Amino acid sequence: MKRSALTNPYILILPGVLLAGFIVIWPLVQITEIAVSEVNRFGQLRGFAGLENFVAVVTDPAFLGACWRTFIWTVAIVVGSIAVSMPVALILNEDFHGRGIARIIMMLPWAVSLTMTAIIWRWALNGESGMLNSALKALGVIDTNIQWLAQSSTAFPMQIMIGILVTMPFTTTIFLGGLSSIPDDLNEAAQLEGASPWQVFREITLPLMRPFLNIAVVMNTIYVFNSFPIIWATTQGGPANSTDILVTHLYKVGFRFGKLGDAAALSLMMFAALLVLTLIYVRLAMREDKS
Amino acid sequence: MKMPTRTAASALALILGTAGFAAAEDVRVTVAEYSSLTGPYFEEAAAAFEEQNPDIDIQIEVVPWDVLLQKLTTDISGNANADLSIIGTRWLLDFVDSGIAAPLDEFMDDEFKGRFFEAFLSPSMMDGKTYGLPVAASARAMYYNKDLFEQAGIETPPKTWEELSAAAEKIAALGDETYGFGLQGKEIETDVYFYYGFWSNGGELIEEDGTSGLDTQAAYDAAAMYKSMIDSGLTQPGVTSYSREDVQNLFKQGRVGMMITAPFLATQIANEVPDLNYGVTAIPSGPDGARGTYGVTDSIIMFENSEHKEAAWKFLDTLFSQEWRSRFTGGEGFLPVQGAVADEPAFADNEVLKEFTNLLPDARFAPVIPGWEEIADITSSAIQTIYLGEGEIEPTLNDAAARINDILK
Repeated sequence: MKRSALTNPYILILPGVLLAGFIVIWPLVQITEIAVSEVNRFGQLRGFAGLENFVAVVTDPAFLGACWRTFIWTVAIVVGSIAVSMPVALILNEDFHGRGIARIIMMLPWAVSLTMTAIIWRWALNGESGMLNSALKALGVIDTNIQWLAQSSTAFPMQIMIGILVTMPFTTTIFLGGLSSIPDDLNEAAQLEGASPWQVFREITLPLMRPFLNIAVVMNTIYVFNSFPIIWATTQGGPANSTDILVTHLYKVGFRFGKLGDAAALSLMMFAALLVLTLIYVRLAMREDKS
Repeated sequence: MKMPTRTAASALALILGTAGFAAAEDVRVTVAEYSSLTGPYFEEAAAAFEEQNPDIDIQIEVVPWDVLLQKLTTDISGNANADLSIIGTRWLLDFVDSGIAAPLDEFMDDEFKGRFFEAFLSPSMMDGKTYGLPVAASARAMYYNKDLFEQAGIETPPKTWEELSAAAEKIAALGDETYGFGLQGKEIETDVYFYYGFWSNGGELIEEDGTSGLDTQAAYDAAAMYKSMIDSGLTQPGVTSYSREDVQNLFKQGRVGMMITAPFLATQIANEVPDLNYGVTAIPSGPDGARGTYGVTDSIIMFENSEHKEAAWKFLDTLFSQEWRSRFTGGEGFLPVQGAVADEPAFADNEVLKEFTNLLPDARFAPVIPGWEEIADITSSAIQTIYLGEGEIEPTLNDAAARINDILK
């Protein structure tokens, strides 16, 4: 059969490609232009700068610390949210009374804006009038107030915990979708053979959930790597930049210090890093699938 | 399908005609949201102005302070800025250097200039030209809780930092829930809170040779003084988790004896905790009697690329009339920038405001230099490092001074 030109697959995906190009490539070109230019604080180009902006970003004393914390931040939240969401999804997948309500409660935090959640946590973590301290005091866990946000050793773990909490609904949703695609008879058959619940999980559920795990890892990595509100609303990256990750550092460089050239260079570098990480992960995941 | 040409043409004419009739001249104004009263105030001023000038349409855009600079940056780079905008006067240099702010001198006559206090108009003058009009002015003074002072047996508010330490010690001894001196250690103006002590010790932010003053004895002494107050429990615990608003909240709860902040705290107290028994006094002086308060003005600027400069100016003329100035200044809790407003009984007889205006001769404004925001951030970070005890005072400050000098070069 001869295909008409109009049903050629390339023609058919052309509108989508154009749209994606407009949304992704055009800003990328703009950012690249700013990154290699001398720019004033209002984004007006003042000449070619070569790699100067990139050098300025890398030699900034706050840069390496922010890179390292971005790594911890991303890994901790992605791994942590998967570790928490998996059991939650397994429970919500069971048939029990009130499952509908339980699922809705699980999803609710998703509906609240991230900034709102972060601000409420800022209040809760307040050293003198915060909910967390008064709750811990009432339970007799602590005697004196803990100033959660005063130093990074308590602030950063708290921020990661908030990050895990807000990432959970999305991750659980993906997992629930995955679990519902596993036919029940597989589980039943295994149980008849005398498999323990742990064995069922390890040998049946987990392998079948692989693609969904991969999606959760990739999507969450992208979200979390670029997640701004939690850290900004609680500490603005402070004290003394000790809770800065790349994206809060980027905001300061761009909008506070007005170095838009440096900011453009930094965001290109972040984009590249994210792209490479995602590609590597997708590659690894696919190879595993084949073998 | 073919559209009848005549219908299309007449529809077009109709649209153009209506547009020409309704939108005489649009003047867009970006204003910073100082409080919940700011938006309604400007809307009201615009409505009153439009009544007098039916051919001009004022559009007010209210933007929260935190994102104002970001919005302006984005607007300007996209060539979508308004005609007038409020900005922090400390940003003005960048706006003038890039040719974004228009000089206002051609519009101003002596009568108009004479409305303002010289001290508040001068920060927005550069190279002999006026680029902004002071829309908000503020200084800092020390608030103290009279009830706590009485309980601790302190008769008069402290005049020097030494007396402040002694008073803070007595108040801190009152109980676990009260603290002597509220010390800000987080977010905007963390550096400024340090400058009070720094200036009292005779320090200058930028030395005469154009380098940072952070590596001087005055800075070491001020840092040591604050650090020892933290270490001996005279401040609230965990100062690096307290922004200005957090410390103000502690003050409103009656839990800190003293704190330094702006006149707007008095307005907030009047609205939220009118029973709080407090006083306002000068910022304490140092061993040689030196002291400094932080003066801040915000300016309203006109954009060079505005196509409605005449109309925009007319609106400015209304905004800076005594009636509208007086309402704004009173509502927001700022200092009067105009003589006629300051002479009104509501301001002239206000004990709290008097304390602030008395301090104006000691007021220092943020230096007008490019990169000031970054310098302030480096300073804040160094100060936080010292407060946390994560760095020795001298090396930390020297290091910060070296980085600031790189920017100043």
